[in-house]
Amino acid sequence: MSHEVEILLVEDCPEDAELTIRALRRNKIANVIQVAEDGAEALDFLFCRGAHKDRTFSNLPKLVLLDLKLPKVGGMEVLQAIRADERTRTIPVVVLTSSKEERDLIDGYNLGVNAYAQKPVDFEQFNETVKHIGMFWILVNQAPPPRPFVVGAAPAA
Amino acid sequence: MTSTSKAIAACALLIVAGIGMLSFWSEVRSEEDRAWVRHTYLAVEKLQAVRIDITQAETGQRAFMLSGQGRHLELFDAGVTQLRQDMNDLSELTADNSREREAIHRLDPLIAARLEELGDGIDTRRRSGLLAGVEMFTRANKREKLMDQIAAQIGAMRQTEDQLLSRRLDTAATSTRKIKVAIVCGNALAILILLAKGFVIHRETGKRNLAEQHLKCANERLERRTSELSETNIELESFAYSVAHDLRAPLRHIAGFSNVLVQDHSDQLDADGLRCLRKIEEGAHKMGSLVDDLLNLSKIGRQKLSIQNTSLDSLLGQVVADSAPERAGREVEWRIGDLSTADCDPGLMKQVFANLLSNAVKYTGKREHALIEVGQTTQHGERVIFVRDNGAGFEMQYVGKLFGVFQRLHKACDFEGTGVGLAIAQRIIRKHGGRIWAEAQLDRGATFSFTIGSPENHASAPLELPLPGEVLHVA
Repeated sequence: MSHEVEILLVEDCPEDAELTIRALRRNKIANVIQVAEDGAEALDFLFCRGAHKDRTFSNLPKLVLLDLKLPKVGGMEVLQAIRADERTRTIPVVVLTSSKEERDLIDGYNLGVNAYAQKPVDFEQFNETVKHIGMFWILVNQAPPPRPFVVGAAPAA
Repeated sequence: MTSTSKAIAACALLIVAGIGMLSFWSEVRSEEDRAWVRHTYLAVEKLQAVRIDITQAETGQRAFMLSGQGRHLELFDAGVTQLRQDMNDLSELTADNSREREAIHRLDPLIAARLEELGDGIDTRRRSGLLAGVEMFTRANKREKLMDQIAAQIGAMRQTEDQLLSRRLDTAATSTRKIKVAIVCGNALAILILLAKGFVIHRETGKRNLAEQHLKCANERLERRTSELSETNIELESFAYSVAHDLRAPLRHIAGFSNVLVQDHSDQLDADGLRCLRKIEEGAHKMGSLVDDLLNLSKIGRQKLSIQNTSLDSLLGQVVADSAPERAGREVEWRIGDLSTADCDPGLMKQVFANLLSNAVKYTGKREHALIEVGQTTQHGERVIFVRDNGAGFEMQYVGKLFGVFQRLHKACDFEGTGVGLAIAQRIIRKHGGRIWAEAQLDRGATFSFTIGSPENHASAPLELPLPGEVLHVA
């Protein structure tokens, strides 16, 4: 289980990706972090297709850290696709972006984002932000039970 | 309506009124004329009657002379009585004419003489019988002479009256004709004037239509320009936004990797190297604040006001409480008056108070005893809210620069800041339709005052154009 991906980091900017990973590592939050450089790659990974066709849905990440401005498929579309599919619907998604646009916030929450954070310029603050997100979603939060999970399948009393 | 048009209308009205008065006057005149004509006819009639009366008296007398019967005298007497009566009427009817009066004076003795003659005949017949009477009757010489004179006199009078009648008929006809001409001419003139007025109105309408068309064109141009400006403004705003937004990423990287260097590789750097890295971090941090303030400013420009009746006291209470970290370890005396409520956007108004109080706290930083006053007064019937401090103040000659973006009147090493706070406050106040201004003396403190304006004055235009001194200095 140690190789199980704990965080899928969807980030097209390698510097931001590196700084995020450094912050996570510095706080000893996650061991296995998968980086997807655009929305299409993120969807391939989550839906076990393309380069990731060997993966299974039983091995979903505990958290998706999602940037909004992404090449090919945008962050909002990725979020929409995750929430639209029953197999991925319950994965916690946290938007970590430069944008503090009200429109993005509203769209994000409408599409069912679990949290929304802006990347601070100051690295100390950035470090703190990433630490809080990781601590909560990886260490504190109770993840949904693994698939297969069928709503209403509990035996009748 | 222009003055020409009014003058024409007044002319037409005067003429129509004049025609009305003329008609009335002519009616009165022709009534008078008719009365005179009637009068003259009566006079002619009376002259005729006088002749008949005389003839009747003569007939009566002659019959008596022949028959000697008293009943023929009755005819004579009736003729005489009627003659007197008619002569009286005639003299009344001709009283207005001196010539006729004279004629009557001449006629009177002739008639009297004739009647006397007839009376004499009757007396003779009574006294001396038929023969004496006949004899007297046949002395016709004198009688015929008298009768001729009477006939001539009456004829003359008749002629005079006829002349009078024809003159009066002429007068009546002439004045009727004159009036007819006046009415026809007047009406024609009025119609002409009304036509002229119609023409003037037509021309004026044409002019007005032209002016309206010009106005419409101008409006369309203005609308087009407004929409162009609006588009440009939106482009500028999104440009500012994306510039600011895109600047954040490299900044984050500069700050981030400098920090990684300090944290993870400090053993390979000497003190100077570390100091340089800290400077890099500070620079990035400061630029980050600038970029964030710019983003805020651009956001306020695009934000719509949500006006509510807001308690300014509780807003101010929150802001004072929030400013606690800024003034940590310092002694600040607050004097806060009663501000009651105002119709404003609570979030934005809080931002105004936050920026003004933050300035006051910042610029009293070097005072041992900092005093910050917030209150309201009335100036020229307008409610003015002020924030006063006893801080560093500034020179009034630079007051024009105070509300400009990135404009600072103090050195960064004396007081930190990006120079956007007052620009934001001004933008918010202007959006509310109010004004903001400052008064200060160097080293003696500053007072910032503002009015909130009324909800009707709120800038309803969708675009907020940059105001003088508010140009973004991005370079």
